[in-house]
Amino acid sequence: MLKKIKRISKMHRIFIAQDLKKLMEYKVDFLTGMFGFMVYQTINLLFLWIIFSGIPALHGWSYDEIIFIYGFSLLPKAIDHLFFDNLWSVGYWLVAKGDFDKYLTKPLNPFFTVLVEKFCVDAAGEFIVGIALIAVTIGKVSIQWSVMNVLLFILILPCATLIYTGIKTITASIAFWTKRSGHITHAFYLMNDFAKYPTSIYNDVIRNVITYIIPFAFTAFYPASYFLTGENPLFNLGGTVIAAAVLMTIGMLIWNKGVKSYESAGS
Amino acid sequence: MRRFLRIYLPFSKAGMQEMMAYRFNFIFHLIGEMLSCFVMYFVWLAVFESSDSSTFMGFSMVDMTVYLFISFMASFLTYSDGAINIGEEIRDGSIVMRMIKPVNFDMYLLFHELGSRFVSIFIVLVPMSVGVELYKFFVTGSVMFSLPNFALFSVSIIIAYLVSFYFNVCYGFLAFFLKNLWGSSVLKDAIISFLSGAKIPLAFMPPALAAVLTVLPFASLSYTPVMLYMGIYDAPQIIWSLSLQLFWLVFFWGLSKLIWRLAMKRLCVQGG
Repeated sequence: MLKKIKRISKMHRIFIAQDLKKLMEYKVDFLTGMFGFMVYQTINLLFLWIIFSGIPALHGWSYDEIIFIYGFSLLPKAIDHLFFDNLWSVGYWLVAKGDFDKYLTKPLNPFFTVLVEKFCVDAAGEFIVGIALIAVTIGKVSIQWSVMNVLLFILILPCATLIYTGIKTITASIAFWTKRSGHITHAFYLMNDFAKYPTSIYNDVIRNVITYIIPFAFTAFYPASYFLTGENPLFNLGGTVIAAAVLMTIGMLIWNKGVKSYESAGS
Repeated sequence: MRRFLRIYLPFSKAGMQEMMAYRFNFIFHLIGEMLSCFVMYFVWLAVFESSDSSTFMGFSMVDMTVYLFISFMASFLTYSDGAINIGEEIRDGSIVMRMIKPVNFDMYLLFHELGSRFVSIFIVLVPMSVGVELYKFFVTGSVMFSLPNFALFSVSIIIAYLVSFYFNVCYGFLAFFLKNLWGSSVLKDAIISFLSGAKIPLAFMPPALAAVLTVLPFASLSYTPVMLYMGIYDAPQIIWSLSLQLFWLVFFWGLSKLIWRLAMKRLCVQGG
Protein backbone atom coordinates (compact mmCIF):
# COMPACT_ATOMS: atom_id res chain seq x y z
CA MET A 1 0.00 0.00 0.00
CA LEU A 2 2.72 2.42 1.08
CA LYS A 3 4.76 1.46 -1.94
CA LYS A 4 1.79 2.12 -4.18
CA ILE A 5 1.22 5.57 -2.70
CA LYS A 6 4.91 6.36 -3.10
CA ARG A 7 4.82 5.30 -6.73
CA ILE A 8 1.68 7.30 -7.45
CA SER A 9 3.03 10.47 -5.87
CA LYS A 10 6.26 10.05 -7.80
CA MET A 11 4.26 9.75 -11.02
CA HIS A 12 2.26 12.81 -10.07
CA ARG A 13 5.44 14.84 -9.61
CA ILE A 14 6.67 13.78 -13.04
CA PHE A 15 3.38 14.81 -14.64
CA ILE A 16 3.40 18.18 -12.88
CA ALA A 17 6.96 18.80 -14.03
CA GLN A 18 5.86 18.06 -17.60
CA ASP A 19 3.04 20.55 -17.29
CA LEU A 20 5.29 23.24 -15.91
CA LYS A 21 7.52 22.76 -18.96
CA LYS A 22 4.50 23.23 -21.21
CA LEU A 23 3.64 26.30 -19.21
CA MET A 24 7.01 27.90 -19.87
CA GLU A 25 6.28 27.48 -23.56
CA TYR A 26 2.96 29.33 -23.27
CA LYS A 27 3.95 31.99 -20.74
CA VAL A 28 1.89 34.82 -22.21
CA ASP A 29 -1.22 32.73 -22.52
CA PHE A 30 -0.90 31.53 -18.95
CA LEU A 31 -0.45 35.04 -17.62
CA THR A 32 -3.40 36.41 -19.59
CA GLY A 33 -5.56 33.50 -18.43
CA MET A 34 -4.63 34.05 -14.81
CA PHE A 35 -5.10 37.78 -15.18
CA GLY A 36 -8.47 37.13 -16.84
CA PHE A 37 -9.71 35.16 -13.83
CA MET A 38 -8.52 37.91 -11.52
CA VAL A 39 -10.30 40.61 -13.54
CA TYR A 40 -13.45 38.50 -13.54
CA GLN A 41 -13.37 38.20 -9.74
CA THR A 42 -12.60 41.89 -9.33
CA ILE A 43 -15.70 42.75 -11.35
CA ASN A 44 -17.80 40.54 -9.08
CA LEU A 45 -16.35 42.34 -6.08
CA LEU A 46 -17.14 45.68 -7.64
CA PHE A 47 -20.71 44.47 -7.97
CA LEU A 48 -20.81 43.56 -4.26
CA TRP A 49 -19.29 46.91 -3.38
CA ILE A 50 -21.96 48.73 -5.37
CA ILE A 51 -24.87 46.88 -3.77
CA PHE A 52 -23.45 47.40 -0.30
CA SER A 53 -23.19 51.13 -0.96
CA GLY A 54 -27.01 51.11 -0.75
CA ILE A 55 -27.63 48.73 2.14
CA PRO A 56 -25.93 48.15 5.52
CA ALA A 57 -26.24 44.35 5.51
CA LEU A 58 -27.53 41.57 3.29
CA HIS A 59 -29.94 39.37 5.27
CA GLY A 60 -27.95 40.12 8.39
CA TRP A 61 -24.51 39.52 6.88
CA SER A 62 -22.13 42.48 6.75
CA TYR A 63 -20.06 43.47 3.73
CA ASP A 64 -16.90 41.98 5.24
CA GLU A 65 -18.64 38.72 6.05
CA ILE A 66 -19.99 38.41 2.50
CA ILE A 67 -16.51 39.09 1.13
CA PHE A 68 -15.07 36.46 3.46
CA ILE A 69 -17.62 33.90 2.21
CA TYR A 70 -16.83 34.93 -1.35
CA GLY A 71 -13.10 34.52 -0.79
CA PHE A 72 -13.67 31.17 0.89
CA SER A 73 -15.73 29.98 -2.09
CA LEU A 74 -12.80 30.59 -4.43
CA LEU A 75 -10.38 28.30 -2.57
CA PRO A 76 -11.94 24.86 -3.18
CA LYS A 77 -12.82 26.00 -6.69
CA ALA A 78 -9.20 26.95 -7.34
CA ILE A 79 -7.79 23.72 -5.88
CA ASP A 80 -10.14 21.64 -8.00
CA HIS A 81 -9.26 23.76 -11.03
CA LEU A 82 -5.54 23.33 -10.33
CA PHE A 83 -5.46 19.54 -10.01
CA PHE A 84 -8.57 18.12 -11.64
CA ASP A 85 -9.25 20.36 -14.62
CA ASN A 86 -8.76 17.54 -17.11
CA LEU A 87 -12.16 16.03 -16.25
CA TRP A 88 -13.65 18.68 -18.53
CA SER A 89 -11.80 17.18 -21.48
CA VAL A 90 -13.37 13.76 -20.83
CA GLY A 91 -16.85 15.14 -21.44
CA TYR A 92 -15.88 17.51 -24.21
CA TRP A 93 -13.71 15.42 -26.51
CA LEU A 94 -11.57 12.63 -24.99
CA VAL A 95 -14.39 10.09 -25.18
CA ALA A 96 -16.12 11.43 -28.30
CA LYS A 97 -12.92 11.38 -30.36
CA GLY A 98 -11.70 8.09 -28.98
CA ASP A 99 -8.63 9.67 -27.38
CA PHE A 100 -9.58 8.00 -24.13
CA ASP A 101 -7.89 4.86 -25.52
CA LYS A 102 -4.49 6.11 -24.47
CA TYR A 103 -5.39 5.97 -20.76
CA LEU A 104 -6.43 2.36 -21.07
CA THR A 105 -3.11 1.32 -22.58
CA LYS A 106 -1.05 2.70 -19.72
CA PRO A 107 -0.13 0.64 -16.67
CA LEU A 108 -1.82 3.19 -14.41
CA ASN A 109 -5.32 3.69 -13.15
CA PRO A 110 -7.17 5.58 -15.94
CA PHE A 111 -8.91 7.93 -13.49
CA PHE A 112 -5.62 8.85 -11.89
CA THR A 113 -3.94 9.33 -15.26
CA VAL A 114 -6.71 11.60 -16.50
CA LEU A 115 -6.50 13.70 -13.35
CA VAL A 116 -2.74 14.17 -13.30
CA GLU A 117 -2.34 14.74 -17.00
CA LYS A 118 -3.12 18.42 -16.67
CA PHE A 119 -1.88 20.69 -13.93
CA CYS A 120 -3.83 23.86 -14.54
CA VAL A 121 -1.80 26.73 -13.15
CA ASP A 122 -4.37 29.28 -14.39
CA ALA A 123 -6.17 28.46 -11.16
CA ALA A 124 -3.58 30.62 -9.41
CA GLY A 125 -5.71 33.63 -10.37
CA GLU A 126 -8.67 32.37 -8.34
CA PHE A 127 -6.45 31.16 -5.55
CA ILE A 128 -4.65 34.48 -5.13
CA VAL A 129 -7.91 36.44 -5.12
CA GLY A 130 -9.45 33.99 -2.63
CA ILE A 131 -6.49 34.22 -0.23
CA ALA A 132 -6.35 37.99 -0.61
CA LEU A 133 -10.05 38.41 0.22
CA ILE A 134 -9.77 36.23 3.29
CA ALA A 135 -6.62 38.06 4.39
CA VAL A 136 -8.24 41.46 3.98
CA THR A 137 -11.44 40.60 5.85
CA ILE A 138 -9.98 38.36 8.51
CA GLY A 139 -9.36 41.22 10.93
CA LYS A 140 -12.81 42.69 10.43
CA VAL A 141 -14.97 39.63 11.01
CA SER A 142 -15.31 37.82 14.31
CA ILE A 143 -13.50 34.54 13.89
CA GLN A 144 -12.00 32.60 16.78
CA TRP A 145 -8.67 31.42 15.41
CA SER A 146 -8.10 28.67 17.92
CA VAL A 147 -5.76 25.83 16.98
CA MET A 148 -8.86 23.69 16.53
CA ASN A 149 -10.42 26.08 14.03
CA VAL A 150 -7.21 26.51 12.04
CA LEU A 151 -6.98 22.72 11.78
CA LEU A 152 -10.63 22.48 10.75
CA PHE A 153 -10.10 25.19 8.15
CA ILE A 154 -7.18 23.29 6.63
CA LEU A 155 -9.04 19.98 6.75
CA ILE A 156 -12.32 21.25 5.33
CA LEU A 157 -10.74 22.67 2.16
CA PRO A 158 -9.92 19.29 0.57
CA CYS A 159 -13.43 18.08 1.39
CA ALA A 160 -15.02 21.13 -0.21
CA THR A 161 -12.73 20.60 -3.20
CA LEU A 162 -13.90 17.01 -3.57
CA ILE A 163 -17.50 18.22 -3.85
CA TYR A 164 -16.47 19.99 -7.04
CA THR A 165 -14.43 17.02 -8.22
CA GLY A 166 -17.23 14.58 -7.42
CA ILE A 167 -19.82 16.54 -9.38
CA LYS A 168 -17.39 16.84 -12.29
CA THR A 169 -16.59 13.11 -12.17
CA ILE A 170 -20.27 12.12 -12.18
CA THR A 171 -21.19 14.42 -15.06
CA ALA A 172 -18.03 13.65 -17.06
CA SER A 173 -18.71 9.90 -16.75
CA ILE A 174 -22.01 10.36 -18.56
CA ALA A 175 -19.90 10.79 -21.70
CA PHE A 176 -19.02 7.09 -21.64
CA TRP A 177 -22.61 6.41 -22.66
CA THR A 178 -23.57 9.59 -24.53
CA LYS A 179 -20.12 10.37 -26.08
CA ARG A 180 -20.26 14.02 -25.02
CA SER A 181 -21.29 15.46 -21.68
CA GLY A 182 -19.17 18.59 -21.35
CA HIS A 183 -22.24 20.75 -21.50
CA ILE A 184 -23.89 18.82 -18.68
CA THR A 185 -20.79 19.34 -16.56
CA HIS A 186 -20.88 23.00 -17.50
CA ALA A 187 -24.52 23.41 -16.43
CA PHE A 188 -23.95 21.69 -13.07
CA TYR A 189 -20.59 23.33 -12.44
CA LEU A 190 -21.99 26.82 -12.83
CA MET A 191 -24.38 26.11 -9.96
CA ASN A 192 -21.43 26.88 -7.71
CA ASP A 193 -22.39 30.53 -8.18
CA PHE A 194 -25.18 29.94 -5.67
CA ALA A 195 -22.66 29.00 -2.98
CA LYS A 196 -21.14 32.46 -2.71
CA TYR A 197 -24.12 34.00 -0.93
CA PRO A 198 -26.01 33.19 2.28
CA THR A 199 -28.51 30.45 1.52
CA SER A 200 -31.25 32.44 3.27
CA ILE A 201 -31.58 34.72 0.24
CA TYR A 202 -32.88 31.90 -1.96
CA ASN A 203 -36.34 30.34 -2.02
CA ASP A 204 -36.96 26.91 -0.52
CA VAL A 205 -36.55 24.98 -3.76
CA ILE A 206 -33.14 26.40 -4.59
CA ARG A 207 -31.98 26.18 -0.97
CA ASN A 208 -32.85 22.49 -0.80
CA VAL A 209 -31.27 21.75 -4.15
CA ILE A 210 -27.93 23.38 -3.31
CA THR A 211 -27.92 21.81 0.15
CA TYR A 212 -29.06 18.26 -0.44
CA ILE A 213 -29.01 17.44 -4.15
CA ILE A 214 -26.13 19.35 -5.75
CA PRO A 215 -24.54 20.42 -2.49
CA PHE A 216 -22.47 23.37 -3.63
CA ALA A 217 -23.60 25.30 -0.57
CA PHE A 218 -21.21 23.08 1.40
CA THR A 219 -18.25 24.28 -0.67
CA ALA A 220 -18.52 27.81 0.65
CA PHE A 221 -21.42 29.25 2.58
CA TYR A 222 -21.95 26.53 5.20
CA PRO A 223 -18.31 25.98 6.18
CA ALA A 224 -17.58 29.71 5.99
CA SER A 225 -20.60 30.46 8.18
CA TYR A 226 -19.24 28.08 10.81
CA PHE A 227 -15.99 30.01 10.98
CA LEU A 228 -17.88 33.32 11.10
CA THR A 229 -20.45 32.37 13.74
CA GLY A 230 -19.13 29.20 15.39
CA GLU A 231 -22.61 27.70 15.10
CA ASN A 232 -23.69 24.21 14.05
CA PRO A 233 -20.28 22.64 13.36
CA LEU A 234 -21.96 19.27 12.93
CA PHE A 235 -24.11 20.44 10.03
CA ASN A 236 -21.83 23.10 8.54
CA LEU A 237 -18.61 21.08 8.57
CA GLY A 238 -19.92 17.54 8.91
CA GLY A 239 -22.21 18.13 5.96
CA THR A 240 -19.23 19.11 3.85
CA VAL A 241 -17.39 15.90 4.72
CA ILE A 242 -20.45 13.74 4.07
CA ALA A 243 -21.27 15.50 0.79
CA ALA A 244 -17.69 15.03 -0.43
CA ALA A 245 -17.63 11.35 0.55
CA VAL A 246 -21.01 10.60 -1.02
CA LEU A 247 -20.29 12.45 -4.27
CA MET A 248 -16.84 10.91 -4.73
CA THR A 249 -18.21 7.43 -4.03
CA ILE A 250 -21.02 7.84 -6.55
CA GLY A 251 -18.55 9.43 -8.97
CA MET A 252 -16.11 6.52 -8.75
CA LEU A 253 -18.90 3.94 -9.13
CA ILE A 254 -20.28 5.61 -12.25
CA TRP A 255 -16.81 6.22 -13.62
CA ASN A 256 -15.76 2.58 -13.24
CA LYS A 257 -19.00 1.38 -14.78
CA GLY A 258 -18.52 3.91 -17.58
CA VAL A 259 -14.96 2.85 -18.37
CA LYS A 260 -16.25 -0.71 -18.78
CA SER A 261 -18.86 0.37 -21.32
CA TYR A 262 -16.48 2.71 -23.13
CA GLU A 263 -16.39 2.05 -26.86
CA SER A 264 -13.66 3.73 -28.79
CA ALA A 265 -14.46 5.88 -31.81
CA GLY A 266 -14.18 4.17 -35.17
CA SER A 267 -11.12 4.49 -37.43
CA MET B 1 -28.66 40.36 -54.44
CA ARG B 2 -30.42 37.11 -55.46
CA ARG B 3 -27.10 35.72 -56.57
CA PHE B 4 -25.53 36.78 -53.28
CA LEU B 5 -28.18 35.00 -51.25
CA ARG B 6 -28.00 31.94 -53.49
CA ILE B 7 -24.31 31.69 -52.69
CA TYR B 8 -24.45 32.33 -48.96
CA LEU B 9 -27.79 31.00 -47.75
CA PRO B 10 -26.67 27.35 -47.97
CA PHE B 11 -23.99 28.20 -45.39
CA SER B 12 -26.74 29.42 -43.05
CA LYS B 13 -28.61 26.22 -43.64
CA ALA B 14 -25.53 24.21 -42.73
CA GLY B 15 -25.07 26.31 -39.59
CA MET B 16 -28.67 25.70 -38.67
CA GLN B 17 -28.34 21.97 -39.14
CA GLU B 18 -25.21 21.87 -36.98
CA MET B 19 -27.05 23.74 -34.29
CA MET B 20 -29.99 21.35 -34.44
CA ALA B 21 -27.64 18.38 -34.24
CA TYR B 22 -26.15 19.76 -31.01
CA ARG B 23 -29.34 21.25 -29.62
CA PHE B 24 -29.13 19.42 -26.28
CA ASN B 25 -25.59 20.65 -25.75
CA PHE B 26 -26.80 24.11 -26.54
CA ILE B 27 -29.75 23.95 -24.16
CA PHE B 28 -27.58 22.69 -21.30
CA HIS B 29 -25.11 25.43 -22.03
CA LEU B 30 -27.92 27.97 -21.93
CA ILE B 31 -29.28 26.63 -18.64
CA GLY B 32 -25.82 26.77 -17.10
CA GLU B 33 -25.26 30.35 -18.16
CA MET B 34 -28.73 31.36 -17.02
CA LEU B 35 -28.13 30.15 -13.47
CA SER B 36 -26.07 33.22 -12.74
CA CYS B 37 -29.11 35.35 -13.65
CA PHE B 38 -31.11 33.56 -10.99
CA VAL B 39 -28.34 34.01 -8.44
CA MET B 40 -28.31 37.72 -9.25
CA TYR B 41 -32.11 37.83 -9.06
CA PHE B 42 -32.06 36.48 -5.51
CA VAL B 43 -29.20 38.75 -4.54
CA TRP B 44 -31.18 41.75 -5.76
CA LEU B 45 -34.32 40.50 -4.01
CA ALA B 46 -32.32 40.36 -0.78
CA VAL B 47 -30.91 43.82 -1.48
CA PHE B 48 -34.38 45.27 -1.90
CA GLU B 49 -35.56 43.48 1.26
CA SER B 50 -32.60 44.82 3.22
CA SER B 51 -33.04 48.33 1.88
CA ASP B 52 -35.49 50.93 3.20
CA SER B 53 -36.44 52.38 -0.16
CA SER B 54 -38.22 50.56 -2.96
CA THR B 55 -35.75 51.71 -5.59
CA PHE B 56 -32.00 51.24 -5.87
CA MET B 57 -30.26 54.02 -7.83
CA GLY B 58 -33.49 54.59 -9.75
CA PHE B 59 -34.17 50.91 -10.48
CA SER B 60 -37.16 49.13 -8.93
CA MET B 61 -37.04 45.36 -8.36
CA VAL B 62 -39.11 44.84 -11.52
CA ASP B 63 -36.71 47.02 -13.56
CA MET B 64 -33.77 45.15 -12.11
CA THR B 65 -35.22 41.75 -13.01
CA VAL B 66 -36.05 42.87 -16.53
CA TYR B 67 -32.55 44.31 -16.85
CA LEU B 68 -30.90 41.11 -15.61
CA PHE B 69 -32.70 38.77 -17.94
CA ILE B 70 -32.86 40.98 -21.02
CA SER B 71 -29.20 41.91 -20.77
CA PHE B 72 -28.34 38.23 -20.36
CA MET B 73 -30.41 37.52 -23.45
CA ALA B 74 -28.76 40.36 -25.38
CA SER B 75 -25.23 39.19 -24.52
CA PHE B 76 -26.19 35.64 -25.39
CA LEU B 77 -27.71 36.55 -28.75
CA THR B 78 -24.85 38.85 -29.74
CA TYR B 79 -22.13 36.41 -28.67
CA SER B 80 -20.02 35.52 -31.66
CA ASP B 81 -17.22 33.01 -31.93
CA GLY B 82 -17.53 32.06 -35.59
CA ALA B 83 -14.25 33.76 -36.42
CA ILE B 84 -12.28 32.55 -33.43
CA ASN B 85 -10.04 30.25 -35.47
CA ILE B 86 -9.22 32.65 -38.26
CA GLY B 87 -5.80 33.65 -36.92
CA GLU B 88 -4.95 30.03 -36.21
CA GLU B 89 -5.88 29.09 -39.78
CA ILE B 90 -3.59 31.75 -41.14
CA ARG B 91 -0.73 30.47 -39.04
CA ASP B 92 -1.10 26.83 -39.92
CA GLY B 93 -1.91 27.62 -43.53
CA SER B 94 -5.33 25.97 -43.68
CA ILE B 95 -6.65 29.42 -44.65
CA VAL B 96 -5.77 28.56 -48.27
CA MET B 97 -8.82 26.34 -48.33
CA ARG B 98 -10.90 29.47 -47.83
CA MET B 99 -8.95 31.47 -50.39
CA ILE B 100 -9.44 29.03 -53.25
CA LYS B 101 -13.22 29.18 -52.86
CA PRO B 102 -15.09 31.96 -54.65
CA VAL B 103 -16.62 33.29 -51.42
CA ASN B 104 -15.73 36.08 -49.04
CA PHE B 105 -14.20 34.77 -45.84
CA ASP B 106 -16.21 37.08 -43.60
CA MET B 107 -19.50 36.56 -45.43
CA TYR B 108 -18.98 32.81 -45.24
CA LEU B 109 -18.39 32.95 -41.48
CA LEU B 110 -21.20 35.44 -40.94
CA PHE B 111 -23.83 33.46 -42.81
CA HIS B 112 -22.69 30.23 -41.23
CA GLU B 113 -23.13 31.72 -37.77
CA LEU B 114 -26.41 33.42 -38.70
CA GLY B 115 -27.88 29.98 -39.26
CA SER B 116 -27.29 29.04 -35.65
CA ARG B 117 -28.42 32.49 -34.45
CA PHE B 118 -31.67 31.94 -36.31
CA VAL B 119 -32.33 28.82 -34.25
CA SER B 120 -31.51 30.67 -31.03
CA ILE B 121 -34.28 33.17 -31.80
CA PHE B 122 -36.70 30.35 -31.08
CA ILE B 123 -34.77 28.76 -28.21
CA VAL B 124 -33.70 31.98 -26.48
CA LEU B 125 -35.39 35.16 -27.67
CA VAL B 126 -39.00 34.02 -27.77
CA PRO B 127 -39.14 32.08 -24.47
CA MET B 128 -37.12 34.65 -22.55
CA SER B 129 -39.00 37.73 -23.70
CA VAL B 130 -42.33 35.98 -23.14
CA GLY B 131 -41.09 34.97 -19.68
CA VAL B 132 -40.02 38.51 -18.83
CA GLU B 133 -43.32 39.97 -20.04
CA LEU B 134 -45.30 37.39 -18.06
CA TYR B 135 -43.24 38.21 -14.98
CA LYS B 136 -43.96 41.92 -15.43
CA PHE B 137 -47.65 41.13 -15.84
CA PHE B 138 -47.83 39.02 -12.68
CA VAL B 139 -45.90 41.48 -10.56
CA THR B 140 -47.50 44.73 -11.71
CA GLY B 141 -50.87 43.39 -12.85
CA SER B 142 -50.86 45.31 -16.11
CA VAL B 143 -49.64 44.55 -19.60
CA MET B 144 -46.64 46.77 -20.29
CA PHE B 145 -45.38 45.26 -23.51
CA SER B 146 -44.58 47.99 -26.00
CA LEU B 147 -44.31 47.03 -29.64
CA PRO B 148 -42.27 50.11 -30.70
CA ASN B 149 -39.74 49.38 -27.95
CA PHE B 150 -39.51 45.77 -29.02
CA ALA B 151 -39.02 46.83 -32.65
CA LEU B 152 -36.23 49.22 -31.64
CA PHE B 153 -34.70 46.46 -29.53
CA SER B 154 -34.79 44.08 -32.50
CA VAL B 155 -33.05 46.57 -34.80
CA SER B 156 -30.50 47.35 -32.15
CA ILE B 157 -29.77 43.72 -31.34
CA ILE B 158 -29.11 42.94 -35.01
CA ILE B 159 -26.60 45.78 -35.24
CA ALA B 160 -25.15 44.67 -31.90
CA TYR B 161 -24.64 41.16 -33.23
CA LEU B 162 -22.86 42.50 -36.32
CA VAL B 163 -20.60 44.72 -34.19
CA SER B 164 -19.81 41.69 -32.06
CA PHE B 165 -19.12 39.56 -35.13
CA TYR B 166 -16.64 42.00 -36.70
CA PHE B 167 -15.07 42.75 -33.32
CA ASN B 168 -14.43 39.05 -32.93
CA VAL B 169 -13.03 38.75 -36.44
CA CYS B 170 -10.46 41.38 -35.46
CA TYR B 171 -9.86 39.54 -32.21
CA GLY B 172 -9.47 36.22 -34.05
CA PHE B 173 -6.49 37.67 -35.92
CA LEU B 174 -4.76 38.08 -32.56
CA ALA B 175 -3.97 34.36 -32.63
CA PHE B 176 -1.12 35.45 -34.86
CA PHE B 177 0.56 36.86 -31.82
CA LEU B 178 -0.80 34.78 -28.96
CA LYS B 179 -0.08 31.11 -29.18
CA ASN B 180 -3.49 30.03 -28.11
CA LEU B 181 -6.52 32.08 -27.49
CA TRP B 182 -7.94 30.39 -24.43
CA GLY B 183 -6.28 32.61 -21.85
CA SER B 184 -7.04 35.82 -23.63
CA SER B 185 -10.64 34.68 -24.22
CA VAL B 186 -11.17 34.53 -20.48
CA LEU B 187 -9.75 38.00 -20.17
CA LYS B 188 -11.75 39.34 -23.12
CA ASP B 189 -15.05 37.93 -21.90
CA ALA B 190 -14.44 39.26 -18.38
CA ILE B 191 -13.61 42.74 -19.64
CA ILE B 192 -16.53 42.82 -22.06
CA SER B 193 -19.02 41.67 -19.41
CA PHE B 194 -17.91 44.63 -17.32
CA LEU B 195 -17.55 47.30 -20.02
CA SER B 196 -20.80 46.36 -21.75
CA GLY B 197 -22.84 46.76 -18.57
CA ALA B 198 -23.90 43.11 -18.65
CA LYS B 199 -22.74 42.54 -15.07
CA ILE B 200 -23.45 45.93 -13.52
CA PRO B 201 -25.79 48.43 -15.23
CA LEU B 202 -23.71 51.35 -16.50
CA ALA B 203 -26.17 53.66 -14.74
CA PHE B 204 -24.84 52.39 -11.37
CA MET B 205 -21.28 53.43 -12.11
CA PRO B 206 -19.73 56.80 -11.28
CA PRO B 207 -21.11 59.32 -13.84
CA ALA B 208 -17.76 60.04 -15.49
CA LEU B 209 -16.99 56.35 -15.97
CA ALA B 210 -20.53 55.64 -17.20
CA ALA B 211 -20.23 58.46 -19.75
CA VAL B 212 -17.01 57.00 -21.14
CA LEU B 213 -18.35 53.45 -21.21
CA THR B 214 -21.54 54.37 -23.09
CA VAL B 215 -19.42 55.75 -25.94
CA LEU B 216 -17.07 52.75 -26.10
CA PRO B 217 -18.08 49.97 -28.51
CA PHE B 218 -18.88 47.54 -25.69
CA ALA B 219 -22.05 49.38 -24.64
CA SER B 220 -23.26 48.82 -28.20
CA LEU B 221 -23.09 45.08 -27.59
CA SER B 222 -25.74 44.72 -24.93
CA TYR B 223 -26.44 47.89 -22.97
CA THR B 224 -28.01 49.81 -25.87
CA PRO B 225 -30.47 47.08 -26.90
CA VAL B 226 -31.49 46.57 -23.26
CA MET B 227 -32.10 50.28 -22.69
CA LEU B 228 -34.25 50.33 -25.83
CA TYR B 229 -36.20 47.29 -24.68
CA MET B 230 -36.90 48.91 -21.33
CA GLY B 231 -37.90 52.16 -23.04
CA ILE B 232 -35.58 54.24 -20.87
CA TYR B 233 -34.16 56.39 -23.68
CA ASP B 234 -35.99 59.40 -25.19
CA ALA B 235 -36.02 60.12 -28.94
CA PRO B 236 -32.67 62.00 -29.23
CA GLN B 237 -30.95 59.35 -27.10
CA ILE B 238 -32.40 56.59 -29.28
CA ILE B 239 -31.09 58.20 -32.46
CA TRP B 240 -27.71 58.90 -30.86
CA SER B 241 -27.25 55.38 -29.50
CA LEU B 242 -28.33 53.68 -32.73
CA SER B 243 -25.97 55.88 -34.77
CA LEU B 244 -23.20 55.07 -32.36
CA GLN B 245 -23.87 51.36 -32.88
CA LEU B 246 -23.72 51.86 -36.65
CA PHE B 247 -20.48 53.79 -36.29
CA TRP B 248 -18.84 50.93 -34.38
CA LEU B 249 -20.16 48.44 -36.92
CA VAL B 250 -18.50 50.35 -39.77
CA PHE B 251 -15.36 50.79 -37.68
CA PHE B 252 -14.85 47.09 -36.92
CA TRP B 253 -15.91 46.05 -40.41
CA GLY B 254 -13.26 48.36 -41.89
CA LEU B 255 -10.65 47.26 -39.37
CA SER B 256 -11.23 43.58 -40.09
CA LYS B 257 -10.89 44.22 -43.85
CA LEU B 258 -7.68 46.14 -43.28
CA ILE B 259 -6.15 43.40 -41.13
CA TRP B 260 -7.23 40.76 -43.64
CA ARG B 261 -5.53 42.64 -46.47
CA LEU B 262 -2.33 43.07 -44.47
CA ALA B 263 -2.36 39.42 -43.48
CA MET B 264 -2.89 38.28 -47.08
CA LYS B 265 0.08 40.32 -48.25
CA ARG B 266 2.35 38.62 -45.77
CA LEU B 267 0.78 35.19 -46.02
CA CYS B 268 3.26 32.49 -46.75
CA VAL B 269 2.06 28.91 -46.74
CA GLN B 270 4.58 26.13 -47.04
CA GLY B 271 3.92 22.76 -48.57
CA GLY B 272 0.51 21.18 -48.81
